[in-house]
Amino acid sequence: MLSFQSSKNVLSLTEDLLVRIYELLAAESDRKSFRLVCREFRRIDSLTRRHLRVIRIEFLPILLRKYPRLQSLDLSACPRIDDGVVSLLLTRVGPGSNSPSLGHWAWGLKSLVLSRATGLRFSGLEMLTRACPCLESVDVSYCCGFGDREAAALSSAVGLRELNMDKCLQLTDVGLAKIAVGCSKLEKLSLKWCMEITDLGIDLLCKKCVDLKYLDVSYLKVTNESLHSIASLLKLEVLGLMACPLIDDVGLQFIERGCPSLKVIDVSRCEGVSSSGLIYVVRGHRNLLELNAGYCLSELSTALLHQMKNLNHLEVIRIDGARISETSFQVISANCKSLVEIGLSKCVGVTNMGIMRLVSACINLRVLNLTCCHSITDTAISAIAYSCRSLVCLKLESCNMITEKGLCQLGSFCLLLEEIDLTDCCGVNDKGLEYLSRCSELSCLKLGLCTNISNKGLSYIGSNCLKIHELDLYRCTGIGDDGLEALSNGCKKLRKLNLSYCNAVSDRGLAYIGRLEELSDLEMRALHKITGVGLEAVAVGCKKLADLDMKHCEKVGDSGFWALAYYSKNLRQINLSYCGISDMALCMVMGNLSRLQEAKLVHLSNSTVEGVELALRACCARIKKVKLFAPLRFMLSSEILEILHARGCIIRWD
Amino acid sequence: MDLKERVCDELQKEVPKGASSTNFNTQHQQKWEDPSSTLDYSTRIEPPFQAFNQTCQTQSLLLCNNQIKVPMQDGSINDLLQQASKIQDWDPSAMLNNLSFLEQKIHQLQDLVYLIIAQKGQVLGRPDELLVQQQQLVTADLTSIIIQLISTAGSLLSSVKQTLSAATTSLGQCGEFGGVVFPSSAQRLNDGVQPQNAGGSKVSEPQNSIDITSNNGNEQNNHIVEEHELKDEEDAEEGENLLPGTYEILQLEKEEILAPHTHFCTICGKGFKRDANLRMHMRGHGDKYKTPGALAKPTKESSSEPTIIKRYSCPYAGCKRNKDHKKFQPLKTILCVKNHYKRTHCDKSYICSRCNTKKFSVIADLKTHEKHCGKDKWLCSCGTTFSRKDKLFGHITLFQGHTPAIPSDEIKVAPAGTSDGATNKVGSVNFNLSSYVSSESEVQSSSMDIKGGIDDAVGYFSPLSFDTCNFGGFHEFPRPPFDDSESSFAFLLSRSCNYSQKSGEE
Repeated sequence: MLSFQSSKNVLSLTEDLLVRIYELLAAESDRKSFRLVCREFRRIDSLTRRHLRVIRIEFLPILLRKYPRLQSLDLSACPRIDDGVVSLLLTRVGPGSNSPSLGHWAWGLKSLVLSRATGLRFSGLEMLTRACPCLESVDVSYCCGFGDREAAALSSAVGLRELNMDKCLQLTDVGLAKIAVGCSKLEKLSLKWCMEITDLGIDLLCKKCVDLKYLDVSYLKVTNESLHSIASLLKLEVLGLMACPLIDDVGLQFIERGCPSLKVIDVSRCEGVSSSGLIYVVRGHRNLLELNAGYCLSELSTALLHQMKNLNHLEVIRIDGARISETSFQVISANCKSLVEIGLSKCVGVTNMGIMRLVSACINLRVLNLTCCHSITDTAISAIAYSCRSLVCLKLESCNMITEKGLCQLGSFCLLLEEIDLTDCCGVNDKGLEYLSRCSELSCLKLGLCTNISNKGLSYIGSNCLKIHELDLYRCTGIGDDGLEALSNGCKKLRKLNLSYCNAVSDRGLAYIGRLEELSDLEMRALHKITGVGLEAVAVGCKKLADLDMKHCEKVGDSGFWALAYYSKNLRQINLSYCGISDMALCMVMGNLSRLQEAKLVHLSNSTVEGVELALRACCARIKKVKLFAPLRFMLSSEILEILHARGCIIRWD
Repeated sequence: MDLKERVCDELQKEVPKGASSTNFNTQHQQKWEDPSSTLDYSTRIEPPFQAFNQTCQTQSLLLCNNQIKVPMQDGSINDLLQQASKIQDWDPSAMLNNLSFLEQKIHQLQDLVYLIIAQKGQVLGRPDELLVQQQQLVTADLTSIIIQLISTAGSLLSSVKQTLSAATTSLGQCGEFGGVVFPSSAQRLNDGVQPQNAGGSKVSEPQNSIDITSNNGNEQNNHIVEEHELKDEEDAEEGENLLPGTYEILQLEKEEILAPHTHFCTICGKGFKRDANLRMHMRGHGDKYKTPGALAKPTKESSSEPTIIKRYSCPYAGCKRNKDHKKFQPLKTILCVKNHYKRTHCDKSYICSRCNTKKFSVIADLKTHEKHCGKDKWLCSCGTTFSRKDKLFGHITLFQGHTPAIPSDEIKVAPAGTSDGATNKVGSVNFNLSSYVSSESEVQSSSMDIKGGIDDAVGYFSPLSFDTCNFGGFHEFPRPPFDDSESSFAFLLSRSCNYSQKSGEE
């Protein structure tokens, strides 16, 4: 806290100095504190703020008026945005009004995130692109209803450089052609899951947008023809071809001869690609930085390995699911010395000796994925810990042979470790956690299915790893309320917690969870001991709770749900399946939680059809995804189903 | 240059042909089929080489409206052309003897023709008795030369059958070809052969080209280059890479191409499109035409003989399909020639009755179009329609700024998705348990227009919580533990402004 004297000094600072100070504040929470100091500070904030992520659309007009110099607007958290809202934002306040014209906010806007804005259609989008002449980046990913008309609307943004259209399911070649012709300056384009796109569209794109640096066509049904077109892109650096089933080695031959600037290529899960295809790629691009070939190789062949010797700049390689020999590790470590990340998930043939050879030279390794490499023991972990001091992320899921000895080495040498996945490593015990807790930078810890850990082990984590924000305790049956107490005392920054099937947790434990103010994701399936009291404590305490999964929490009564409906205003996703929620409480939860987007409402034992209908009516304007009991399909009124459909809500029947 | 002199000249230069010679040879062979050089003396004879038999001569006469003075000569030249391909195997020494004999003979003839020219200069324009006699003399001499030449050439080539069959099958047609038979072995002989068209264009004189333009003046008006959507025979041979000189180039005249019939009855003169139809017709002229032999399809020569590939040239000068064009691409069949000529150089007289916009010069194209007319769903922003997506995309690639147009029928679909006004209202519908169905009419009647909803701004930005609802039906339920439930519903409305500053953003 500032003393009176110093605060006077601070307040006497000139505006430009205040702006400078403000710009040095990196964290959003710090900026929030800054603007809460006084009116002058708030004015500085409103004048200098460039980026805004809106959570509640009802405040959007006020916020836009407050921050006139926005360059980046993120509306992905308000899926309720639709054409009407856009029209209002752009036209409502005319010149006659005493407040500054609302249209102004759009003039300087460069970046617009409309991800999951399923309510928006082409007319709204067109208004937006027209109103924002400086628009350079648009994200409309996961707007599943978007198609050619929306693409046409986007194509009027001629200055567009970055466009993300992932999962715009209705987009066809025609829409892509619109964008290719309209936005010829495009540098980055992502078309994942735009399943209607064919070679024709890609070909036209490559001819019209020659400045493309980043192109992602993952999951598309494009063929080698597309690769032939893509190969002509001289500036292309990143190419995503994940899970393109029709692409094969012949297509990669085009890439060998083309794309001179290629740095990153992802051919993972491409069924048709084999190691000869990768040989073409590697042979043509000696300066490759990242090669992602997960689940497309059966074996890391010697021929490919021979070519990989030339990749001296390679930083990232992922060969998940391939068979690999010990000598291969030798070759990789001898030649690819700048490797930063290596992914060996589910690789066959990964042995202690192989890993030791690998880490002997690749000392810069920061990310190592050894998921399901079952034959790894403490020996390999020790070698990793000793060689790779800058290791940040280590994934050891299902490495059953690892014991506290390995964790001891990690805790001694890898002090920069931030993320470790020990899911299903039954060798991990309390002692191991004690060693591991020496990694004080740890932010993500996954201990799912580690049945040998208890409250004692968790208390080490709670007392030492204060930066943890994600903790997975799935089916850690040894964990009880005491462990959660220790956790809530130390890990105040916890954002994501999985307590599913930790049967010992009771209402008292949830009361401790309620102390975690930052918590946003809580999964607590099948906690049979908890009641409404526990849920109430969580709802009251965890203000930021956004995702709650309480499937099979059968003892929770209406009092808990009422509390949820009243306090958890930020809740976005909820799973209430197999809960004993009543009609009344269901309507309250669904109606009052104004940010709710996704709900799973299967097998609600105490609810009736009318209750579900009413609940859906209460939330139909904003809900985006709902899972319902299949027989309800014929029991709910067709009207509500039509409304939900019209709003772009996806209903899953179970 | 006079015809006879020219003929002599040609024959003279024809001589070394049998010997192992060369581009010089081919260049001059080229002259024979060069339409421009043909047109050079077309004031007198047009088309040349047509008097193969009486029928086709008459036909040609009808078509050309020309007086033909030296039919025999033409016939013999034609004969020569036909026979020139007879040469099968050659004995160099025997051939040399023959050739020197021919050379002598040709020199004699040359002198005679010089003489005629000299006389002609004096008695210009007057068909003299003497001139006719001299012509006959020349003809006789030429005939003997030709026969000699043929027998000489016969040892070299063996492709008579090809031309003979052409002569028999298409009686009328053979007169139409201004063709030269290129020996299939020519490639072997003329290793250094130049592209024919290059040679041909060298030979043509500027004066000729003037002739052509005046001749084809009316055609040029109709000259419309257009993109053929239909894949036809022309397209099919685009990729063909025949070496120049390995095939025979034939060129039909415009009139022949446009003639409705190509097969004529020698007795009554009736025309037919197909030879088979003519043969059927001939049965009516007597029993002799009813024999199986007369009715049978004229047999093609046994396939053991190497066949000369025939290709066709378009008579339209400057056309890519014309043999004088630098990048000459020959046409494969007579049908190709006809379709090409009509499509490219003729009026489009067939108009589609459905769309009244598309015009065609080949009726088959119209029929093909009519099958798809109205189904052209691929539309460009420039208004052009395409039946196929790849054609549209090719068009867009080619033209700057053109984009595919999205069919307008989608507009009707789109507002259904934008019926947000409707759903918003539903969100704030009175939630009486009994009456929720009643809002159905409201959904339908609510305006589809976005701007219509603007007045209801509060509705757009309201949190859509139960605060706008009537909870009449809920009062029977036991009170929840939170007694301040009513204020909780009002929470957002009453304090929304403060709220916005605290947590309306992240």
